[in-house]
Amino acid sequence: MTMGATDASGVTAGTGGTGVATGTGACEGSGGGGSVGGRAPGPVLSVAGLKVTFVRRDRELPVVKGVSLEIAPGEAYGLVGESGCGKTTLALALMRYLPANGRVDAGSVRIDGEDVFSLPEERLRELRGTKLAMVYQDPASALNPSMKVGEQIAEVYRFHEGLSRAAALAAARDSLERVAMPDPDATLERYPFQLSGGQQQRVVIAMALAGDPRLLVLDEPTTGLDATVEAEVLDLIEELRGKVDAAILLISHNLGLVARLCERVGVMYAGRIVEQGPARELFTDPRHPYTMGLLRCLPRFGVRKDEVSLVPIPGSVPPLGSTMPGCVYASRCRLVRPVCTRREPDLFAVPGDLAAKGRAAAEGEPPAPTAQSPHDAEPVGDAARHTRCYVPDEVPAMRVEEEHVHKVQARAARADDVLAAAGVSKAFRDGGRRLVAVDDVTIDVVAGETFGLVGESGSGKTTLANVIAGLYAADGGEVRFLGQRLPPRAAERDRDVLRAIQMVFQNPDSTLNPSWSVRRILSRSAARLAGCRGAARRERVEELARKVHFEPRYLENKPAELSGGQKQRIAIARAFAGSPTLVVCDEPASALDVSVQATILNLLADLQAEQNVSYIFISHDLAVVRYLSDRIGVMYLGWLMEIGDAEDVFRPPHCPYTEALVSAIPTLDFDHRRPRIPLRGAIPSLSDPPTGCRFHTRCHRFLGDLCRREAPPWREAGEGHRYRCHISPNELRELQLAELGPLPGR
Amino acid sequence: MRRLVVRRLLLMVPTLLVVSVLIFLMAEIVPGDVGRSILGPYASPEQVAALNHKLGADRPLVERYVRWLGGFVTGDWGESPILQAPVTRVTFESLVNSLLLAAIALVVIVPTSIVLGVLAALRRDSLLDRFISVTSLSLTVIPEFVSGVILLVLFAVVLPWFPVTASAPPGADLLTRIYHLILPAVPLMFVEMGYIARMARAGTLEVLDMPYVRTAVLKGLPQRRVVTRHVLRNGLLSTVTVVGAQVGWLVGGLVVVEKLFNYPGIGRLMAQAATLHDVKVLEATVLVVAAIYMLSNLTADVVVAALSPRVRLGG
Amino acid sequence: MEQASPPVGLPAETVVSEQALRRRYVVRKLLRSPTFLVGLAILLFWIFMALFSTYVTRYGPFAIDPYNTLTGPSAQHWFGTDDSGRDVLSRTLAGARPVLEVAPLATLLALLAGTTIGLTAGYYRGIVDEVLMRAVDVLLAIPVVIAGIVIVSGLGASLAVIILVIAILFTPPVSRTVRSAVLAEREREYVQAARLRGESGLFIMAAEILPNCLPPIIVEGSVRLGYAVFTSATLSFLGFGLQPPSPDWGLTISQQSQNIQVAWWTVIFPAVALATLVVGANLVADGLRRTLSE
Repeated sequence: MTMGATDASGVTAGTGGTGVATGTGACEGSGGGGSVGGRAPGPVLSVAGLKVTFVRRDRELPVVKGVSLEIAPGEAYGLVGESGCGKTTLALALMRYLPANGRVDAGSVRIDGEDVFSLPEERLRELRGTKLAMVYQDPASALNPSMKVGEQIAEVYRFHEGLSRAAALAAARDSLERVAMPDPDATLERYPFQLSGGQQQRVVIAMALAGDPRLLVLDEPTTGLDATVEAEVLDLIEELRGKVDAAILLISHNLGLVARLCERVGVMYAGRIVEQGPARELFTDPRHPYTMGLLRCLPRFGVRKDEVSLVPIPGSVPPLGSTMPGCVYASRCRLVRPVCTRREPDLFAVPGDLAAKGRAAAEGEPPAPTAQSPHDAEPVGDAARHTRCYVPDEVPAMRVEEEHVHKVQARAARADDVLAAAGVSKAFRDGGRRLVAVDDVTIDVVAGETFGLVGESGSGKTTLANVIAGLYAADGGEVRFLGQRLPPRAAERDRDVLRAIQMVFQNPDSTLNPSWSVRRILSRSAARLAGCRGAARRERVEELARKVHFEPRYLENKPAELSGGQKQRIAIARAFAGSPTLVVCDEPASALDVSVQATILNLLADLQAEQNVSYIFISHDLAVVRYLSDRIGVMYLGWLMEIGDAEDVFRPPHCPYTEALVSAIPTLDFDHRRPRIPLRGAIPSLSDPPTGCRFHTRCHRFLGDLCRREAPPWREAGEGHRYRCHISPNELRELQLAELGPLPGR
Repeated sequence: MRRLVVRRLLLMVPTLLVVSVLIFLMAEIVPGDVGRSILGPYASPEQVAALNHKLGADRPLVERYVRWLGGFVTGDWGESPILQAPVTRVTFESLVNSLLLAAIALVVIVPTSIVLGVLAALRRDSLLDRFISVTSLSLTVIPEFVSGVILLVLFAVVLPWFPVTASAPPGADLLTRIYHLILPAVPLMFVEMGYIARMARAGTLEVLDMPYVRTAVLKGLPQRRVVTRHVLRNGLLSTVTVVGAQVGWLVGGLVVVEKLFNYPGIGRLMAQAATLHDVKVLEATVLVVAAIYMLSNLTADVVVAALSPRVRLGG
Repeated sequence: MEQASPPVGLPAETVVSEQALRRRYVVRKLLRSPTFLVGLAILLFWIFMALFSTYVTRYGPFAIDPYNTLTGPSAQHWFGTDDSGRDVLSRTLAGARPVLEVAPLATLLALLAGTTIGLTAGYYRGIVDEVLMRAVDVLLAIPVVIAGIVIVSGLGASLAVIILVIAILFTPPVSRTVRSAVLAEREREYVQAARLRGESGLFIMAAEILPNCLPPIIVEGSVRLGYAVFTSATLSFLGFGLQPPSPDWGLTISQQSQNIQVAWWTVIFPAVALATLVVGANLVADGLRRTLSE
């Protein structure tokens, strides 16, 4: 089985596809190219015992540690897991395209029976693009910026089917039509930067399908796209599944997305597949503690912080390349047994022999290894479920265990405003153009509440937050804090205001000064914001660290030595240094993996309950916002479209834009699949916003001239709940309820 | 696109004005007494004053500057008191000589260095790459006169293949002139080639790591196609900018090489004028060189803009 | 290993001291790079010669011997003698000193000035940035060697003037490098966090941003050092540097090149010496850049 260190470096980005010499001859007894021609009835993709190692700074880091999987023709297989689990590496290994410092240590990959690692260079080239195609995470960078879109697609036809330039362009046009690209003829002549994100991804998909592949690898195809664009791409993929007979390998960290698109799912952790099975069964009745852990980290849609607390997985994903003798998940597992750390469990079938084998193993000695290497014996391909756990039947019980609720201080019926922003506007200058990022927005935040701010990119939510925090000066309107008018810039604010209004930022890697120690970071804030000196300051630093559950022994560390979650906790501690009244949280958990995200969200909720602080919580993740927020504001292209209690905003009647956003959330709820509302076109440019209602160019409830001509009025939909639309609340409620059917979740 | 060119051309005007003020100040004020420095220590004070008056050196500073600039713009660059010839003629004659030398160097430099740089990038971390990288790195930092002297000793003295001087006998045909210029051109090539090759390598490497190159490879395109259409097209854009900027170094190199090989180019003229305080010639040559330098930068930027659709189409 | 029970339920996020590992890696990688080591050896050799050459050589660099002019390499004079009968070996070794006085000092001054300008322009942006960068553009509009000639011919050649001139001419590229590093840093969130603490601009520039811009500044400095040697030697060669009888290499080559056809040794040894120094300095710079930017 072992291939003499197949050096995949010859196929790498580093050499731009030059000289793939090494590696091809190194593989012995692998069938010399397999069965070319004539489609084998077997699986389209079969991976067996694949091991991939990276070498970084002289250290060998095993990234994929023996993975086996099979995908049948026409099947969609989802691979989920947190970042650093080896998902993307696995995908690139399938294409025999590892970075220069990566190499395949063992195992094989067969596409239609052909061994990818032993193919000669020319055959590999034929395979890529025709049998194997890939769709990438960031469509903007996956397309050549200096080449017309049509030509980029036509290349596939020219170099695989030998079509002439003109014929290839005609074929490219058809392929654009297949992915429902509006105006395919004009699109052929466009450069990538002239297309919207959704259109770019359509082009990438069209290109991938051009060679009529047997296997389509989708690597995080919607990550980084806005919610409504993500919905657009998802719809397209779903629709194409009916038309194209390619098998699909979908790689994503988004469980809802995978649940929606795939029949079968593999859960990957630390380079291993730990659980595998049909999507629905796996997500509704997980049998591996890690799968269960992931699910418990996600706020279920419609659940609030005062009802259920999120349960984070303790610890974090082991650093890349760490090796352990037993189960890869043992160090974080709640069900861990002594045996788990000694020998790794096989991929047992569920339920079948599970009870017998697993139990026996858990109680006594591990069963003697039957084969030389466990993964050889792995049953793969059939629809049965498998889990790499000794005690799978204890997993379901984890769901109810130790759920606690965040004590939420009862909000006073009408508490005083902490912050009132009235008619705030902020414009930027971009070259000669004026971009109005925030346009006449009025919001208020009450003591002790969480005010959620949602919207897609370009909506102005971050700009508004920065104006409130004092990083930008507003052009118009005013911001009042506890009744006092705030100086526009932080530099002009006195210490009391600075102390009271703080911010937590999005990116854990840049939120802390990399050349300062954690102690210095906290200590500086304690001095500036709380005015602590000497011993009091040291005391305060340790108190802050305790508050965010940061172990004091790491205080001397630099940020580079901390995990993402730890960094974000220090950022929170820094904001709380002076006991703030209002903390602006700008996507504080968005860059983190779900298990870490849950810890951060819990921490924020606990701190709020303890100190009665108010939050302005910005996020693009509606499930998270709904979970945490008491009230919500929805923004679109600089406008506030809707504002009201969280419950009210999420149900009819609500602004059509909010309606579309809500419908775009991928959920794990298999019984209540709501239809997604497709939005037309791309998000318009801020430099040239639509007339009348900002949303009219994409609105599915577009009324015609009225919307195009006149700015919609504010509608009162209930106590403190207002939205902007030409359609009245009663009318809208009926329209929206009619489409929804019974409400899911609650 | 046209707007870009016009805007950049207009921007050159104030920059050139400031440069002219700087040069004027450096050349006219600092040396102190112009007449004295020309006539030497043994001239009588009256003679010095008379010369100063004749040269206009006794007038107020601003007036002198305005008069000089006015003359310069209208094409009246004055007379060189040392060369006894019109500055315009002297400057342009030597400029033509320098352009010939520079052209010979550039014709070799640009294609060779780009090929070497791209080759090194495509074979990243191979022996070839290390060799090209280390050699080019070493060659760029050796001053032209150092490699020039070594070349002279080797190929003009020890092995008498080339003439010691760069000037062909008067009336010689173009081929003979070029033959005389080969040895002087090599040091220029060394310095420039190394630098441009490194930039071409860096630009290519950067593009090789781009996701769209991965897309192209995984589309199953032949390697040639990937390299020519996807890698080079984007990777060499930055190299074009570098070539434009390198004209500055090239001019510096000309000064050195023309002195070493005794070639009547603008560099030697400039150095001579600086040594002998031939103010008018110095001002004229420096301004001309600065303008050429700026124009070459501008040209490079325009070429880059023309090749990148985003700039051309005003994305 | 058997006994080690896993830390269940602890928020024990694994901490690997990435920084210590990285530091160790950088040093190891440098010490294993042959080109870096060769460069370092050359550099150390010339530094040693700059300091102690007079103790090593048999003749003084200025000792004239009118009876032994332009003699070829021999047992007495390994590198021969020049047109004044001075020992070429002694002068070649002594020639390291003027270059190594000028280049590092000029580089240091340029780094100081360039860092100050780059930090200010990059942090304040707007009109401050515009004014400073236009000034930098003007300086960059004149090729370095030309500007050097013009200024030195005005101010007269002396050690201080040459150091100052090179420092001034190298300030613009340094400030550009620093500015672009600052532009990238200033948008990072820790800078915004500092503003929300009400920190002054000076504090943010010096204490928050500057430490994170040090790696590019170090690399820029090492590259500039090589070019400072290049430029000072070129100025000397053109007669706008140190004046005779200094053993400066550029000056010597310029002075002796008239004898090139009869006494090649008078120019070739200083030329090779200069070449090794610049190449050595750049191999070191390249090693630093490759490892620091990794």
